[in-house]
Amino acid sequence: MEQIAIALLACLILALISKSLSLPPIPFYILAGILLGNGGLKILTPNEIFEFLSHLGLIFLLFYIGLELKPERFMARGKSFLVAGLIDLKVNFLIGFLVALVLKFGYYDAFVIASAFYISSSAIAIASLIENKKLILPESETIVWLMVFEDIVLVFLVFALSMDQNPLLLILKMLAIVVLLYFGVKILKPLILKILDREDDLPAIFTFTAVIVAAAISKKLGIPEVLAVIVLAVALSTTNPKAFERNSRPFKDTFLPIFFFFFGISVELSGGIVEGLALSLVAILSKFLSGFAIGRILHKTSSAGIEIGANTIARGEFSIALAAISGSAIVSAPITLMVIVTSVVGSITGKYSSKLKEVVSSLFAQT
Amino acid sequence: MSFKSIDLPGIGTKYEIETEKGDRVAVIFKDTGGIQLYVLEKGKETPSAVELNPWEARRLGSILTGAVIEPEKEAVEVAFSALSDLRISVQTYIIGKNLKGKSIGELAIRRRTGVTIIAVSRKGKNIINPPPDFVFEEGDIVVAIGERHQLETFEREILGI
Repeated sequence: MEQIAIALLACLILALISKSLSLPPIPFYILAGILLGNGGLKILTPNEIFEFLSHLGLIFLLFYIGLELKPERFMARGKSFLVAGLIDLKVNFLIGFLVALVLKFGYYDAFVIASAFYISSSAIAIASLIENKKLILPESETIVWLMVFEDIVLVFLVFALSMDQNPLLLILKMLAIVVLLYFGVKILKPLILKILDREDDLPAIFTFTAVIVAAAISKKLGIPEVLAVIVLAVALSTTNPKAFERNSRPFKDTFLPIFFFFFGISVELSGGIVEGLALSLVAILSKFLSGFAIGRILHKTSSAGIEIGANTIARGEFSIALAAISGSAIVSAPITLMVIVTSVVGSITGKYSSKLKEVVSSLFAQT
Repeated sequence: MSFKSIDLPGIGTKYEIETEKGDRVAVIFKDTGGIQLYVLEKGKETPSAVELNPWEARRLGSILTGAVIEPEKEAVEVAFSALSDLRISVQTYIIGKNLKGKSIGELAIRRRTGVTIIAVSRKGKNIINPPPDFVFEEGDIVVAIGERHQLETFEREILGI
């Protein structure tokens, strides 16, 4: 209990500090974990309860993402959505993979690093667009939908990283759970809607129970819980997604900081400082490159490209989630460093993107 | 003028208008309840933006629809389809120093002007149908009802504005 209390207090204080500095809180949580954990003062050690609460954070993050993944929503977006999403994926995944190989990581670890390298932080990008008042710009739409595309890819990346068993068997099991959850939700839809309409404590209890039960069933079947939870969320989004978002949000908001903190506790940064810094630098340049390409192609201007690049630099929650899901210890230090550096740099470039555009255009004017 | 609404997952809904002159105005209704209002002049790169709460947004909306609004004086005119020649105005006023300590009966508001005071708001508390012996205080916001010309008489004779 003490350990959790210390962790929660640290997270709360750091959240307050980060908000007042208008910086994203994620790097603060991780740094606090590193400082108090194995790699630092060794005040806190990973234990079972800690791990469970942190796992809840991860599960509710993915559940929340799953609720937004409604196929008909992005079908309506058409070609530009696909064009931007694919450029972002190809450029960043490829560069990430190559950098990881150059840094002498094995193929599996390079895949994990490339995944974490590719995926930007939706939370930071969206907060930055709102806070820096950029929502009138057409490129802000492109950025928001880019984040949706990345969320879809995230599902596949999670799937790929969970392949520690016979892939065919896993696919069959996944199909089974997709069918089970989809039809389960379909049959129970009137009941679910009735429960969600209530104004008492039942909607919250129901949401929490549904997620935990899905995770427990998937564990019995030998399917990664994170996947089952995403499938559950997509199935439930056919009922009343807004109500589920409202009811799962407090769980996500409470447990997610513990997840980052816990991740920090088990990281030993000293193992990967050089790799981490190299990765961070390329990660910044790479998103600028993909953003620039998207801006030139979709909006026909370089300034749109810089805007897109500047707002997608920050890596965050998903990169850490993928590192955690992969279970590879060797990648955690470089990915952690990349998240810390890019999230701070990204929130600064997001804030000062108009200055950045001026500087770049004056550079080009001179040459 | 062109108008479009755009779904922004994770943020909310954006409504955008491009005026005939090419300026752009965008309103974002955030899922969290707040509203952002943007104005971008044609040819400019950086927009101006303000953050509104739902109440402020509604207020701004009513101004834009053309209702007469001054901070201390606002009016609604009601017309009835069955009584086409009857137009009733409801208007608010703030009581100044000159009426402080005087009662509704003493001022003979209805007899002199035809206007009826139907409500008074004092320090956030509402008094509906104040009696004739109701005494005004400075800063009271009164809701007066009557025909347009009666309200004009009320403004002149009683309020002295």
